[in-house]
Amino acid sequence: MSTTRTAPALRPLRRTSRRSPLRQLGKGVLVALLLAFTLFPVYWMLNSSLDAQAGHTNSFWPAEPTLDHYWFVLTEGGFGTFLRNSLLVALGTVLISSALALLASVAVARFRFRMRTQILMLVLIVQMVPLEALVIPLFVQVRDLQLLETLIGLVVVYVALALPFGIWMLRGFVAAVPIELEEAAYLDGASWGRMFWSVLLPLVAPGLVATSIFSFITAWNEFIFAMTMLGGATENYTVAIGLRSFFGVHSNDWGAIMAASTIITVPVMIFFILVQRRLASGLTAGAVKA
Amino acid sequence: MTQQLTAAPPRIGRARAAFVRPWLLLAPALLVLAVLLLWPLVRVFLFSLQDYGLREITTGEPNWTGVDNYAEILSTPELWTVVLPNTVGFAVLAVAGTVAFGTGVAVLLASLGTFWRTVTSSAIMAAWAMPAVTGTYVWVWIFDADRGVFNDVLMGLGLLDDPTNWFTDRWTFYAIVLLNVIHHGFPFVAVTVLAGLLGVPKEMLEAAEMDGAGSFRRFFSIIVPQLRQVFAVVIILSTIWDFKVFAQVYLMPGGAGSNRSVLNLGVWSYVESFGQNRYGFGSAIAVLLTLLLLVITAVYVRTVLAEEER
Repeated sequence: MSTTRTAPALRPLRRTSRRSPLRQLGKGVLVALLLAFTLFPVYWMLNSSLDAQAGHTNSFWPAEPTLDHYWFVLTEGGFGTFLRNSLLVALGTVLISSALALLASVAVARFRFRMRTQILMLVLIVQMVPLEALVIPLFVQVRDLQLLETLIGLVVVYVALALPFGIWMLRGFVAAVPIELEEAAYLDGASWGRMFWSVLLPLVAPGLVATSIFSFITAWNEFIFAMTMLGGATENYTVAIGLRSFFGVHSNDWGAIMAASTIITVPVMIFFILVQRRLASGLTAGAVKA
Repeated sequence: MTQQLTAAPPRIGRARAAFVRPWLLLAPALLVLAVLLLWPLVRVFLFSLQDYGLREITTGEPNWTGVDNYAEILSTPELWTVVLPNTVGFAVLAVAGTVAFGTGVAVLLASLGTFWRTVTSSAIMAAWAMPAVTGTYVWVWIFDADRGVFNDVLMGLGLLDDPTNWFTDRWTFYAIVLLNVIHHGFPFVAVTVLAGLLGVPKEMLEAAEMDGAGSFRRFFSIIVPQLRQVFAVVIILSTIWDFKVFAQVYLMPGGAGSNRSVLNLGVWSYVESFGQNRYGFGSAIAVLLTLLLLVITAVYVRTVLAEEER
């Protein structure tokens, strides 16, 4: 807590004790340990992916720097196809779930109607349902629709998974748009649809971007449904399960696995850093007043 | 408030538009939720009351067996000695570890200057952003029995004579899962608690300091009560997430059912269904897991709604 900043006049003694070299040193050690623990897995992933010796001898920096693992993964490994599949599935999920979430969030944020609270509760509760409970009935359902082993089948499932959180998060963004702007549009003779397109939509756009990124990450990372529904259709594998093809029966090609992991992780990290503030505030939903 | 919220364009009758429009807007989303989340939940319960296997899936004919599946689950000794301890015990340890570590990091972050705070929180974001699948593979690689860096370093230091397979023993297996889950979960706690910490009025802390309260006393007597809501949400969300760990166990060596001593509820349900084609039995396990989570969720919803009404 930065109490020192506001209390220098009152607490000169305290202030000097806080700045004591020992205290600063202790803090420095803690920060160093924290950074090491936090970043080690990422560092180790990058290190192994760039080292021709990965899987043979361990060293803390690439002993024989190379990009061969990446080249192997993207060509012979067939990771290009997995990347394309994941991209298609994620974009489909983002487009559909964002559109549905936007409409629904306008309804719950802008209108008071019977059952509004019950619907909000429903949206909250369905987020908690474990995927393990959904995977069996959805497998049967998607099978009945003849969509097993297809990318469309996955998009259908991921829209459902991304929707509740999208509604919950966008609700706050819609509510933050001043109602006076809407009323001004009506006074100028705009219809509800016109107001929605020209006033509400541009103002909610940042929230829509944040929600889209979240849906993208959900679809990109998802593992259990992709594994269950795609089965043996290797040509339709997404990145999360495509990784398994580098595991051998007797030995694993760790350099290739780590190169592929890096390719999967980097887009997520970039998106995550872009969206993190909104994500945290969306999850706690009003518990933290920043 | 109510009147403002129902502001509607003048063309349609105010009352009618206010009644119809929200339902029109909600319809597509509700349809998706009903067909893809609610109906499956009903169905998993219906499956759990049947001997539902491959034959039932292909013919679509029901095969009711009442509560036989539940009776079988509850009379399986493995449930009490292996599965439940692995699920509940693990969740308790993981939540305690994540919340304690995350809070410690938040306190440290709050005491740093702008530069180091930015550096450290960016690093934390990197840990948070790591997808569960790739994160798990990296930990598996680090602890790999033959060529992992962990065994290498221990042997180099003379602490270990021969390479050890850490994945066969139940305790070391879950220790690695715990490390993985805490590493992935603490950033959310740290960021959320930090936001709360920065919102605690400085005057209160100064007053307490003048009254002679030390930093521990200030933390537990002022900050913790002020952040009660934040801690409630963080603990409940972590509990829900940690009960549901699947990829982090399933993707580890032996985690996909071949090592029965590391099964948890989620993995057990999955391997019974898709490994043994006993979809009914797997559904019953999934229903039990869902009920467990519903109880926790009910607490969560009450906490959040109580906060909104304040």
